[in-house]
Amino acid sequence: MPLTTRRRLLCATALVAFSSPAVAHSVTGRLPWSPNEAYPPDIVQPGGWLFLRPEEAATLDAVVSRLIPADDLSPSGKDVGCTIFIDRQLAGPWGTYDWYYMQPPFADKPLPTQGIQSPLVPQQQYRKGLAALTAYCRDTFGGKTFEQLSTEDQDKLLSGMEKGEVHLPGLTAPQLTTTMFFAQVLDNTIEGFFADPIYGGNKDMAGWKMIGFPGTRYDYRDVIANPGKPYTKPPVAIMGRPEWNGKPA
Amino acid sequence: MMRGTILAATLLAATTLATAARADSDNFTELQRGRYLTTAGDCMGCHIGPDGQSMAGGNLLETPFGNIAVPNITPDNKTGIGTWSAQDFYEAMHVGKRPDGTHLYPAFPYTSFTKMSRADTDAVYAYLRAQEPVANEVDRNTLPFPFNIRLAMWAWNRLNFTPGEFKPDPQRSEAYNRGAYLVEGPGHCGLCHTPRNFMGGDAASDELKGGALQGWFAPNITADKHLGIGAWSEAEIVDYLRTGHTARTAASGPMSEVVAYSTSQMTDADLKAIATYLRERSAVGAPAPQPVASTDPHMQAGAAIYEDSCAACHARDGQGVAGMFPRLADNQLVQQTDPSGILHVVLQGSRSVAAPQAVTAPAMPSLRWRLSDQQVADVATFIRNSWGNAAAAVTTDQVKTMRDATAGIAMSQGN
Repeated sequence: MPLTTRRRLLCATALVAFSSPAVAHSVTGRLPWSPNEAYPPDIVQPGGWLFLRPEEAATLDAVVSRLIPADDLSPSGKDVGCTIFIDRQLAGPWGTYDWYYMQPPFADKPLPTQGIQSPLVPQQQYRKGLAALTAYCRDTFGGKTFEQLSTEDQDKLLSGMEKGEVHLPGLTAPQLTTTMFFAQVLDNTIEGFFADPIYGGNKDMAGWKMIGFPGTRYDYRDVIANPGKPYTKPPVAIMGRPEWNGKPA
Repeated sequence: MMRGTILAATLLAATTLATAARADSDNFTELQRGRYLTTAGDCMGCHIGPDGQSMAGGNLLETPFGNIAVPNITPDNKTGIGTWSAQDFYEAMHVGKRPDGTHLYPAFPYTSFTKMSRADTDAVYAYLRAQEPVANEVDRNTLPFPFNIRLAMWAWNRLNFTPGEFKPDPQRSEAYNRGAYLVEGPGHCGLCHTPRNFMGGDAASDELKGGALQGWFAPNITADKHLGIGAWSEAEIVDYLRTGHTARTAASGPMSEVVAYSTSQMTDADLKAIATYLRERSAVGAPAPQPVASTDPHMQAGAAIYEDSCAACHARDGQGVAGMFPRLADNQLVQQTDPSGILHVVLQGSRSVAAPQAVTAPAMPSLRWRLSDQQVADVATFIRNSWGNAAAAVTTDQVKTMRDATAGIAMSQGN
């Protein structure tokens, strides 16, 4: 029996000992530990859409670029990968609310404290919402798609959706209203802008650089005793920063 | 009449002496001495049985020549050493032969145990005899051809092995000689810490200079100041052997088992004797090379990785946290000529030992998923050449070899 197997046997023995009820045990000797053990997040791979259809992605690109426009503060939501982030999230367990209780009844007029009361999972919300947005633009702007509108029209439409002044066709309470859809897209765009680049958004840590967030750095002993002085270290992501590969920031 | 009485008394005394000198399982003192020597020899380290308690064997020892299954040394008549006499046991320990005359492989360190006195092997024998017999059949012929020909060990022994009990050096202190006996004899430190030649024999001039094993590198423990323990104080060596931890380092890999099963249970006097011997015997090493310049691009990449991935525990200045996170500055392990130790720990992570005197066994996480071969090489090069450290730069080939060697040992994937 190889050494590692023996170690695992010892761990297993310890676990069995712990699970026997009503007997107190103290931990002595080795704690369970396995070589190479790590639970890294899945790294988003570039290329291709996993959930969105190309026309949906094009619309969403235009939406996130109005929610976070390119300006002197940061690149646009599209350029930092918010659409990729949302696509990968929709394709993952969140897209189908894998870990939520999703059985009826769903409240018609839920209290805010009741949380999610729509039977639609995010994949369905996006599919339905984006189709409704496309239909609305086609009917209202003479056959144009959202991304073909001028930025002024896009902004007007989006703020109308946010305030509840615009009602996209087919979106009704309690399943999915226009404001619910807008709020969902806005939330996910912000998440894509600030989540670790490993998830597909926040390219080059642009979101973190904009607000001075230090990233996954977790030791501030060297700088903590400088109250009032600016923090100047570059942010670091789960998979590092450009300097790790010998490149300047 | 008077003469007759004296003669009888002499005979009686002689008989008593002879009895006392033989292994006697009723002799508590001898059993305890045997138990202590068994601990000092870390017999359990290899011979531990599938039950995790007895020495019923069954582990596979990895050697460059193939795997060797460790035998059952409980006093079981069929599968253990129940039928062995004290003389048989002495022969095995002293010249590496089994009662039937076949040769043992030097993975069993008879090359060291040969230095043990007969009284000591008898005590170990008595202790082993007093254990519960455990039936555990071990396949003792696992080596591939041609290494499965045990007779070949006859020639190997001619070339690589000189039997003979330890001879104290009268010019040296009692502690030095005791330490030498423990290190060279029962402790068999050289089995790992002395480099092997191409035949798996050890080179006398390189004794304790450090050797590769099982994807690790047992570091230089000669008195060399740069690579060995020459800069360690006696107290530091004693603390290390007793608890596995000092401000400078933490036992990991195979050494953590040695501390757990063996040295943590040895007496202070013996640990001090080992420290005396190691500090006073000769230094074998290499002069420190010129450190890689901090302006080197690989050093700069390594510095960035170190700051983000290592410094939170080991500190920016490489000082670590005493007793918890090893100091990397002036740490000999990270500066060994062979970087296997540092690469192994960075790639695979490590849990150091928990000893009765230091119950927390701090662990380092595996970084293999987060760092590329180039990044591991760069951060290792940085650690080996910062804060006064100096050692050759690590290449990506070395990292790749270690990544392959340590892959998949117990990878838990399930996020």
